[in-house]
Amino acid sequence: MEVLRLQNLQKSFGSVRALKNASFALNEGEVVALLGDNGAGKSTLIKAISGVFPVDRGDIYVRGEKVSIRSTRDAMDLGIETIHQDTSLAPDLSIARNLFLGREPVKLKWLGVFAPLDLAKLRGAASALLKRVGISKKLDADALVSTLSGGERQSIAISRAMQFAAKVIILDEPTNNLGVEETHGVLRFVKEVRDAGHSVLLITHNIHHVFQVADRIIVMRRGEIVAEQTVADTDLLTVESIITGADMSALLKETRAK
Amino acid sequence: MTIAAEDEMPVGKRRSSLLRSPQFSSLVILIVLLAVFAIADANFLSPLNISNMMAFLPELGIIALGMTLLLTAGEFDLSVGAVFGLAPVVVMLLVQNGEASIGVALLAGLLLCVAIGAINGLIVTKIGISSFLVTLSMLLVVRGAALYITQGFPLKSWDQPGFFVTLLAGSFNIGSFRFYTSLWWFIGLSLLAIYVLRYAKLGNWISAIGSNRNAAVARGVPADAVKVWLFILTSVLAGLAGMISAFRISAASPVAGTGYELEVIAMVVVGGTALTGGRGTILGTIVGALMLRAIRNGIVLIGVPGLAYNIFVGVIILAMLILHALLQKNAARG
Ligand SMILES: Nc1ncnc2c1ncn2[C@@H]1O[C@H](COP(=O)(O)OP(=O)(O)O)[C@@H](O)[C@H]1O
Ligand SMILES: [Mg+2]
Repeated sequence: MEVLRLQNLQKSFGSVRALKNASFALNEGEVVALLGDNGAGKSTLIKAISGVFPVDRGDIYVRGEKVSIRSTRDAMDLGIETIHQDTSLAPDLSIARNLFLGREPVKLKWLGVFAPLDLAKLRGAASALLKRVGISKKLDADALVSTLSGGERQSIAISRAMQFAAKVIILDEPTNNLGVEETHGVLRFVKEVRDAGHSVLLITHNIHHVFQVADRIIVMRRGEIVAEQTVADTDLLTVESIITGADMSALLKETRAK
Repeated sequence: MTIAAEDEMPVGKRRSSLLRSPQFSSLVILIVLLAVFAIADANFLSPLNISNMMAFLPELGIIALGMTLLLTAGEFDLSVGAVFGLAPVVVMLLVQNGEASIGVALLAGLLLCVAIGAINGLIVTKIGISSFLVTLSMLLVVRGAALYITQGFPLKSWDQPGFFVTLLAGSFNIGSFRFYTSLWWFIGLSLLAIYVLRYAKLGNWISAIGSNRNAAVARGVPADAVKVWLFILTSVLAGLAGMISAFRISAASPVAGTGYELEVIAMVVVGGTALTGGRGTILGTIVGALMLRAIRNGIVLIGVPGLAYNIFVGVIILAMLILHALLQKNAARG
């Protein structure tokens, strides 16, 4: 079942055409890896989906229905949760407050932004969530995010996306700046998220990670999607050559001949 | 690094984190300062002197509350001292020219503050110029306006008793202490600010914006709108403080509040609020306001020559900031 479809998305920054004509679909319960060199347009594509800025042209469908995503709030309400490169958490806030940032449980709702936080519920839900994702042993919901390691922060950001039962979870370079151990933790987490029924769009330029967790691969180059393959039907070398833009057909023949 | 799960967290650990918090160390230093002044001069704790300090405290303290919220969101406002001067001047001109009753004039003065704050906030958020440059320019514009419309002369303030005078600058006695109603304003606004920053949804947003604006925006927090409103709030509180002051001394001077912006920011950071945003404490600001007030008052009593005040004030502020920085480093390491 298809959860998200992008059709002919285009986006320019001045004279830079960051997205030329991007189309693809994401199905329920699959991990799709979005690959491409620096500047290929990966971040631009996911920012368009997550409502950071509007596209110039093109349509987005969620579960077959055409939607308009004009703000990050719109995307969240449609069940699209994004974990951006390096910018997902507020370090001076506690884990619990970060988990519910923007969707705080409150009492006396009619007070609007002045409504008091339901601190018991906030802490309880945060602890339960940390337990569910298997990191409560180490982390206290009241601990400040600034005291966490990079891997722990990514885990927190991913759990936050899970907790709102997001249909689509987008991860932009989630393993950047992480140690080996932490990277494995995050990748294991991605699998668990998929097994729980969420769809994941994973942006990375580490091909090895892709072959560990992804079901399908999409490659972008200079604002365009240049290849789309299931992991089972391809191999590392082929994908590498597509990313760098080397002569694909020659390489393909070569690898097949082997 | 290991952090015990919540139910296993030892009580001692919580207590030690409270003891290490910036507002706590500020409080300790305040108590030490008060003790030193009290020992050095018996008059320091006399009813007259305490009444004096309590008369001045709310005027800068009220501005400091707004500044704390603004700094926590990662911005600051250098135009508060000028707004403190302009607001009452405008009110008095309107009244003296017979253009408005006192009530309407006060309202007009506050609306002017709303406009000044909104302009600051909109330029900072929509055009993306740093709040340092925007509010520094606004300081010049506002102070210049106050001087121009008064031709530089102080105005006689409204001195007939009435509802608004009582509301803003009435006084009452408790025993041999004499307090002004402005103290109630300060206490009430402090409680509100504590509530908003620590317990309300808005406070969570303010801290998140100052801590990592992009993260907050990505969660759907309307960061720009929050900042604009905080600029407006700070301006309005500065204007209100100016009116309180003008009523208390029955004069509105176009140069009133000169230099207050730095004194207010000093109060806020001495209390433990981070100049870089994300970490703000209203309790710390109250301690900071008391501390600067006590220092200014105490060093006069113990006989420091008037012209040397600022040396002492500056040195004590610097010492406080160094202490906070060291504590912060320690906490990060521990
Ligand atoms: N906000 C922006 N303003 C101007 N140019 C941008 C902006 N964001 C991205 N670009 C440009 O768009 C292209 C694609 O960038 P990006 O999507 O970040 O690539 P990737 O994430 O694949 O490394 C690059 O040429 C980049 O310089
Ligand atoms: Mg990128």
